[in-house]
Amino acid sequence: MKWGRLALLCAFSMAILFAAPFIGVPRVPFSELFVLPQADDISVLWDLRVPRVLLGWVTGATLAICGMVFQALFRNSLASPDLLGVSTGASLGAVIYIRLGLSFTLFGVLSGLSLAAFLGALLATFAIYMAGSLPRGGMSEATLLLTGVAMSFFFSSMNMIIQYSGGYIDTFRMMRWSMGGIRAVKFAPVYAPLAALAVIFVTAIFTAPELDLFVAGEDIAESRGVSVSKLRRRLFVLVSIVVGVNVAVCGPIGFVGLMAPHICRRLVGADHRNLTIASLLFGGAFLVVCDTGARTLWAPGEVPAGILTSCLGSLFFLWLLFRGRERG
Amino acid sequence: MNGMRFFDIKSLSLSLGGAPILRDVNFSLEKGKMLAIVGPNGAGKSSLLKCIGRLYKNFSGTVSLEGTPLSELSMKKIARRIAWVHQTGTDTLPFTVREFARMSRYPWHEGFALSTKEDEKIIENALVTAGVVSLAERQLNSLSGGERQRALVASALAQGTDILFLDEPTNFLDYRHQVETLELIERINQEQGMTVIIVTHDINLALHGADEILALKNGEVLWSGGRSAFLEKKMLSQIFDTSFEEFENPGQEIPYLAPTGFVR
Repeated sequence: MKWGRLALLCAFSMAILFAAPFIGVPRVPFSELFVLPQADDISVLWDLRVPRVLLGWVTGATLAICGMVFQALFRNSLASPDLLGVSTGASLGAVIYIRLGLSFTLFGVLSGLSLAAFLGALLATFAIYMAGSLPRGGMSEATLLLTGVAMSFFFSSMNMIIQYSGGYIDTFRMMRWSMGGIRAVKFAPVYAPLAALAVIFVTAIFTAPELDLFVAGEDIAESRGVSVSKLRRRLFVLVSIVVGVNVAVCGPIGFVGLMAPHICRRLVGADHRNLTIASLLFGGAFLVVCDTGARTLWAPGEVPAGILTSCLGSLFFLWLLFRGRERG
Repeated sequence: MNGMRFFDIKSLSLSLGGAPILRDVNFSLEKGKMLAIVGPNGAGKSSLLKCIGRLYKNFSGTVSLEGTPLSELSMKKIARRIAWVHQTGTDTLPFTVREFARMSRYPWHEGFALSTKEDEKIIENALVTAGVVSLAERQLNSLSGGERQRALVASALAQGTDILFLDEPTNFLDYRHQVETLELIERINQEQGMTVIIVTHDINLALHGADEILALKNGEVLWSGGRSAFLEKKMLSQIFDTSFEEFENPGQEIPYLAPTGFVR
């Protein structure tokens, strides 16, 4: 039955991935691709829509898997990458970059803003990691989690100080950035997040048995042969870097990492091998739907996708929660 | 003298947060025996078990198994020898009994491995031994205390080790389920020849099945040796600061012990 659900989810996710580029203003009818294709339409489709939809799917899938790994590592259903300082660290990097009035592009493809955000994410990870391993005997799940939350608030405050001190235009750019959005022109911005997704997907699939045991608790995991603190350290750093790569390109996109794993758990159960695949498919589809909404609902204007994910996600999540409660 | 003991614990000491928990614990255990670690609350029983099984690592002293210090082995290698039934933390797990037993096969797998036919056979045998075949597809968090305890023993058996550690396995169980759990543990010890170390504060349960007794008080070994010697020495009142009375136990060689009041 679980394989059936996974197959359905796969079909659903792929359908959305292929349909989404044809939705939007200007409309690019599917039929036109084969009969009398127009240069403008082809360009809209291949240079704007397809990269953007692909980036959206990759981002949603990455955040969902990263959220799943964090929730297992910390045995806490509220753990998610955006809660643990990585996203706020990235925002801080981006905000500093804008405030300093920097503007450069590395190798012609890597924007300075993305680089600054990525450095911010790395720095935040390093700080949390160091602070979390200060207590003797290594990091317990609770210290690491609380360190992350505290650091996140600290970075947010720095963020606001810098925003507050900036001029109108800077502040506007900073705010826009920290709302998160899927922006891609041609395929260059997709490569790094796609590579990061591949890394975290393979890692999650291979460490699925360990993640199952993590959920069962530290003592059980250790007594079944998992080196808990070593693996937790590694996964924490890896997830943070992967999220850092993504946030650098898309900005912080809330709630996907928190919510998608929960919904997938309800669909396919607690087994992390199935859950990884489900999170990939569902997270990707969910963000593409949100982003398609973000660029069509107010067409020709658009809203940042991050706002829609949080809004739709939280409502959907509440509905799931209360529906589950009624059934007991 | 064969010279090589099965379990050998030498000058083991542990401090947590600056407070001494265990002081200079020494003992050894032969293969296939069942040892009960007894003592009052806070004596360091569970901590000692966790040190031996390396769930605690920052203690001093050595724990060797067949002459090899366990500190030289990876957690995975240790998990091929020692299986655990833990005291707490299993009442809310989102797994079925069979899934939880399957998770115990982890130490035998390398890399990306799905459960093999042989794994499933071992799991099935474990479920049969622990008497939980009918509960196999139930969620752990839907089981009663006694059922869950047997499910946890099944999971430990599925790990395929020759040593079993149990931390207060009869806590929170009513009398029938205490007896049931204990008989299961004794059967595993006698029929499958597993070496068993059990931590308990229930002296009657300890004396019923254990060959050896290790009595702890305030982190120090007060006494260790065979159970009949333990009874002859009248150690109990010293360990628990409570006087005990012995009652004849029909059909059993070991008397039943009941606390009768404080030692003043």
